Amino acid sequence: MTTQKLVIRSMRKNIKMYYLYFFAMIFSISLYFIFSTLQNDQAIVNISEDSINFATAFQVAGILLIFITIVFTMYATNIFIRRRSQEIGLYQLIGLSKAWVARVLIAEHSILGLGALLIGMIVGVLFSRLFLLLFIKLIDLEVMVGLTFSTQAVIQTIAVFICLIAITSLQIILTVYRSTLLQLFQANNKNDHFVKQPSIVSGILGLTGLSLIGFGYYVSTLIVVHADLLLYLMLLVLASTITGTYLFFRTTISWILYVFRKRKNGNLGLYNSLSVAPLMHSMKGHANSLTLITTLSAMAITMISLSYSLYYSTEDDTRLAMPFDFAVENMQEEAAIISSRLEEEQIEFDYHQLDAIRFDGTWVEKNPNIDNRHSTFMVFSAEQMAKAGLDVEPPQDDEAIYYNSRTVIEGREISFPKDVQYAANDAENQLTVSKFKLENVMNYLFYGEQLLVSEETFERMRDNIQEDEHTEFLTFETFQLLDTEKSDTASDIFQTNVDSDEYISDFYSTYKGSFQAFGLLIFIAGFLGFVFLLSTGSILYFKQMTEAEQEKNHYRTLRQLGFQVNDIMKGIIRKQLFVYLIPLGIGLIHAAFALNVGSVLMAASMLTPIIISMAAYIVIYLMFTVVTIRYYKSIVTNAL
Amino acid sequence: MTIQQTANTVLSAEGVRKSYGSKGNAQQVLNGIDLRVFEGEFVGIMGPSGSGKTTLLNTLATIDRATDGNIVINGNEISNLKDNQLSNIRRRHLGFIFQDYNLLDTLTVKENILLPVSLTKISTAQAETEFNTIAEILGIKELANKYPSEISGGQKQRTSAARALIHSPSLVFADEPTGALDSKAASNLLENLHEINQTRQVTIVMVTHDPLASSYCNRVVFLKDGTIFSELYRGEKTRESFFKDILDMQAVLGGGN
Repeated sequence: MTTQKLVIRSMRKNIKMYYLYFFAMIFSISLYFIFSTLQNDQAIVNISEDSINFATAFQVAGILLIFITIVFTMYATNIFIRRRSQEIGLYQLIGLSKAWVARVLIAEHSILGLGALLIGMIVGVLFSRLFLLLFIKLIDLEVMVGLTFSTQAVIQTIAVFICLIAITSLQIILTVYRSTLLQLFQANNKNDHFVKQPSIVSGILGLTGLSLIGFGYYVSTLIVVHADLLLYLMLLVLASTITGTYLFFRTTISWILYVFRKRKNGNLGLYNSLSVAPLMHSMKGHANSLTLITTLSAMAITMISLSYSLYYSTEDDTRLAMPFDFAVENMQEEAAIISSRLEEEQIEFDYHQLDAIRFDGTWVEKNPNIDNRHSTFMVFSAEQMAKAGLDVEPPQDDEAIYYNSRTVIEGREISFPKDVQYAANDAENQLTVSKFKLENVMNYLFYGEQLLVSEETFERMRDNIQEDEHTEFLTFETFQLLDTEKSDTASDIFQTNVDSDEYISDFYSTYKGSFQAFGLLIFIAGFLGFVFLLSTGSILYFKQMTEAEQEKNHYRTLRQLGFQVNDIMKGIIRKQLFVYLIPLGIGLIHAAFALNVGSVLMAASMLTPIIISMAAYIVIYLMFTVVTIRYYKSIVTNAL
Repeated sequence: MTIQQTANTVLSAEGVRKSYGSKGNAQQVLNGIDLRVFEGEFVGIMGPSGSGKTTLLNTLATIDRATDGNIVINGNEISNLKDNQLSNIRRRHLGFIFQDYNLLDTLTVKENILLPVSLTKISTAQAETEFNTIAEILGIKELANKYPSEISGGQKQRTSAARALIHSPSLVFADEPTGALDSKAASNLLENLHEINQTRQVTIVMVTHDPLASSYCNRVVFLKDGTIFSELYRGEKTRESFFKDILDMQAVLGGGN
């Protein structure tokens, strides 16, 4: 028999195993192809040119995607080679050289890979339009999209594919050359890490795992308060939770199951024999991949929830930073032109004038350990603000409310009351800032920390403040559009009539900009999250498939002993729930704590987007569980 | 013999046939077997390779279905039963000892042995007592918390035997139980089986190609080409002389194994 015939024959024989591998390959190739098609799509390229952020985001995501694809393919290949180890051993036993075996395996993989490349690209072409439409919808872009076929995407995909083939070939060569005949014959039915009697050490390690996770969670709650140490605390949290998660999988679970088993005193029963016992033994060996899966899940959930929250609350967040649709400072002429142009266009609006004082002053802390800080302030009158349409309550005389929509992100000390001192002509030279609000009273583009005082205090300050080169008496003119449908026309009028050197933006264009940026963010996060989810789910599925094959003789024995398929399935379902729900559950809890930290970044509520993202994640995971259970069912049914 | 004939029939087979393959190309493995096993008997089934020993055992044990013929276990006619009903019969009435033990390597010795008791109404305390009794007889009580990978072949097979006996089945099927054991472990196990057969009145049907193993039985059935060729009863003979009879019969049958 020639080598060629042998390759074809063995492929035909292994078609069932290949089919799994084949899908894994098609799946990664088509996702990468879709991504690079989008990256090279004219509509998206146009946006990218406007903003460096867009282009960078796509590039970073592309690299991440390649990385995930490679890890995933290596994983699938590894499982695949192990499943065929007896066959590889047999070839060597009958005297074929390792080089020959490696060559045959690489040939098989390459043939398969080429098929997967072709199908993957076809699938990619079909689905890329769907993703493109989704993207256009997300960032609310008004362009027509045709079915685009990007040559650049094809080239990129082929390049990644060649990388994949090179890596898997290397993997095959290493596996074949490193393994001895004996190992090859045992690889299939070996229980890598057989837990006999967990020692005290493992009990301690198990507890350590739990406490590390708990510690990480605890520290994460501190981040909210100590935003100045953000980076260090974040690293600490990551290190401690990831180590904790690893120990949890490696020892804690086995240990808990061992204690449970011990209490059963040998009378374990069928269902536990099929769930608790195999889990206890396999957990240790799966610790690496389970930690990876849990961490990736937690990251993906956090990423999706955060970007979805940003996207979801773009309008509210922008409104908090920019309470007025348009605002100008000391620009009466421009304001008049804008008014008349708006009237020409028959856009209705509310117009108001506001007085303000800008001055240099000092934050005087009540806590002697914190240094006083010099800053520039803007003070507004609450009565005037209320007239201009903002929902504000005037503070007591000589008191002020501090408004800043970015305080928490900037890591400022936010314990109030404290004082603001300024140079005055008499003894009344300070304001007591009684509280602070996480929003602005004036669009954020104007320089100075915003303070709101009562009209009376405002008048007094105007009289007694010492005038120097830093003190300015300002007039703001604010416009609030009553007709939001013409926002874009109004925005154009505004932009063309203010000096572009001044970097003055209006609500609508800022909102539009954020909306597109967050739209891109949610798209990329969603895409990567989807890939994470499918890869981690597939890895778990592959592992369970292998385990099902290995345990096939157990099921045969059980059927011979007279247990029905349904009884056996009950035990298996219990095991699968553990296998999928443990990483998912821990991932969700990790994500919940991460999001708790992330909530600092966002003023608006994140609850709805978080619940939606988590629910989507859970549903897809459960789908994997169902598919796995069905696979087990076919194994058990055909075991006898 | 008279005692046995008055005893209850545990298993009876009439005209059992089994063929494999499609109609045009059918391979007849069992050619009409009639067999009756009485309560308390220890029956050996011998015969050369390809004579249908294992097929007969699997068919009698409801693991495989006969193409034709009737099999009655404990009064239940099994030919027309559904798979789930067959499972129930196996679980309640039958015990199994396999050549390669078929222990679950994720379970300890004790957990393996108590497996058949699960899904039954036997209480934990009762199961514990039963385990102690059987493990005592088979000398594996000390191994209770060991895993199959930690014990010897002989110990594994005794564990497997304990698992076959724990739920007090009416009938135990043993398929080449000594096939993978050295001679000392083999005679050890056979002594155990013999003792259990005598003291607990457990009915055992054992397929073997080893004349020494079948010399522990009180009846040996010889198969050839899918039919029963002959039967030998031990009666009052010593095991040694029964062993010689079996060897003689094998010589007549030809083909040793």
